[in-house]
Amino acid sequence: MAHDDEKDQDGGPGSGLGGKKLDRRDVLLGLSTVPALGLFGEAWRKQRQYDQAQKEAAAEDAPPPPADLEEINVALLGSGAQGQVLLDSMLRIPGLRFRAVCDIWTEYNQKRAVRILKKYKFDVNGYEDHREMLDKEKDLDAVVIATPDFWHAPHTVDCLEAGKHVYCEKEMSNTLEGAQRMVHAARETGKLLQIGHQRRSHPRYLHSYEKLLQEAQLLGRIVTVNGQWNRAVSPDLGWPERYTIPDARLKQYGFKSMPQFRNWRWYKGLGGGPIVDLGSHQIDIYNWFLGANPSHVIASGGLDYHDPATHEWYDTVMTVYEFETAKGPARAYYQTQTTNGSQGYYETFMGDQGTLVISESEAANSGSVYRDPNAPAWDEWVRRGYISAPKLQEQGQKDEDAVLDVRESVSPDEHRIPVVLRDPYHQPHLQNFFDAIRGTATLHCPPEVGYETAVTVLKVNEAIEAKERLSFRPEEFEV
Amino acid sequence: MKEGTLSRVQMVTVVALRVLIGWHFLYEGVSKLTADAWSAKGYLLQSRGPLAEVFRWMAADPERLATVDQLNMWGLTLIGLGLILGCFTRLASASGIVVILLFYLCNPPFVGYFYSIPAEGSYLIVNKNLVELAALAVILVTGSGRAAGLDRIIHGLLKKRDRPADS
Repeated sequence: MAHDDEKDQDGGPGSGLGGKKLDRRDVLLGLSTVPALGLFGEAWRKQRQYDQAQKEAAAEDAPPPPADLEEINVALLGSGAQGQVLLDSMLRIPGLRFRAVCDIWTEYNQKRAVRILKKYKFDVNGYEDHREMLDKEKDLDAVVIATPDFWHAPHTVDCLEAGKHVYCEKEMSNTLEGAQRMVHAARETGKLLQIGHQRRSHPRYLHSYEKLLQEAQLLGRIVTVNGQWNRAVSPDLGWPERYTIPDARLKQYGFKSMPQFRNWRWYKGLGGGPIVDLGSHQIDIYNWFLGANPSHVIASGGLDYHDPATHEWYDTVMTVYEFETAKGPARAYYQTQTTNGSQGYYETFMGDQGTLVISESEAANSGSVYRDPNAPAWDEWVRRGYISAPKLQEQGQKDEDAVLDVRESVSPDEHRIPVVLRDPYHQPHLQNFFDAIRGTATLHCPPEVGYETAVTVLKVNEAIEAKERLSFRPEEFEV
Repeated sequence: MKEGTLSRVQMVTVVALRVLIGWHFLYEGVSKLTADAWSAKGYLLQSRGPLAEVFRWMAADPERLATVDQLNMWGLTLIGLGLILGCFTRLASASGIVVILLFYLCNPPFVGYFYSIPAEGSYLIVNKNLVELAALAVILVTGSGRAAGLDRIIHGLLKKRDRPADS
């Protein structure tokens, strides 16, 4: 049957008889399945309507914006991977009007962001040069900056001086001199500058700091801290050949080549390596929760795994900070490595009465406190809903034959921290920035705080190079 | 009914099967085309089995990956249209078989293999990909486009023009 092309399958008239003209029956049967395509089109249209409604409903999850909400005119400066993350969060925040996107990769990053914003019915202009954008977009109120670290200072200073409020990604700058200029510019212009240490606005971190550490003092005196960000090996970032940026433009903006442009985080003078990209977020929390800046740092690190031809910064770093807190000395360990992602990222604060394990992630180590057996009862805090009822250690899980040494500490009970963030991780911090512009909130990470963290973190790379214990002078943290 | 031809009921059934598979292909295609940024990268990188290296190679180079993505999206869409409309049915079903064979080989449910894709169902060697592949083979060998589909018109027109001597 199959090989018999010449025969009409159901033996009807028409093609089977060769030269005969097409008759009505042929045309009808020929078009008989076209209505299925119409049905498909209708079903697809309905599905798209449904998707759109879902998207809008998700955006409406937040309390409805007040009718008189003043619109803020926003530009995105730097629309690469991180710019996209921030954009996704901002699209869920009411009361923003996007006006411009600036990115030197006009062929790709800029085009993508403009296309997405147009889809959301924003009339945005694309720019390659931030100064041209500041010249032409007179109505801008705020600029959100997600460019490579070495551009943060010039971009932030120019935007502040043009009278815009600025949200700038961390690390504030790759140099302290650049970070200082940012602090000064914010002070001189009186404009707001929020640094993107987004955990500072995370409801679980705020709850832990304000309720568990400050009010309930659940941990007692914190003596040791440790934290990590382990990340699996990932190949260098590539790019579609037809979207290669011409050399002249790359050089104009401080990049040697397309691979360097794509992988700037690994290059000295452009970024700070994993300790800055990843560690900075968590070491910022050490300073915040301990209520102090460190006094000393020792560090070991190296380019142990990656190809030195395309990587300059250390792929593996282990560091110990010493703190003099109001309650006494504390030591804080931190490691980051980029060869194995097992165990992910978290911070652990250990006091003489309890332990706090916390992370930004909702998936693993999101938030628990463990009461030390000799601490006062936590029943009051459970009743108030600050922490969950204890999850008792299950006896059954232990190996019956294992013999516990009498010197071992009894495992403490685990209490969960009942705070879940259902929005993208960066949304609360951006929301805090826009609320501050409207005057209904104060910044959770003003430039002075971002500067202290920059001083704390950038010193690690210095300590690795110096191969010795370095000290921080208290005035180093001041601008 | 002549030997080697299908009865009316049989042909209606085959055409219905063709339209359903076409619908599936078409939606797989257009949903990828209209997504913000769809790529087969994750799927390819998760490949297991004897040809895993080949699939990972497809995803390794961004330029190559972009080509694979385009071929996939447009291939699915055009095959879907061809099957629904009965237009170039044999070409569409043969291409569909190749495409599904690739999907199957990317993550074959062989003995002792377990992975995250597919996430639903329980499969041993045979999975829904293989079943759809076999169904396309039925479409291929029955040439149903010439019974009910644009092929009937195309074929008729071509014949009239090209082979006047036949009659």
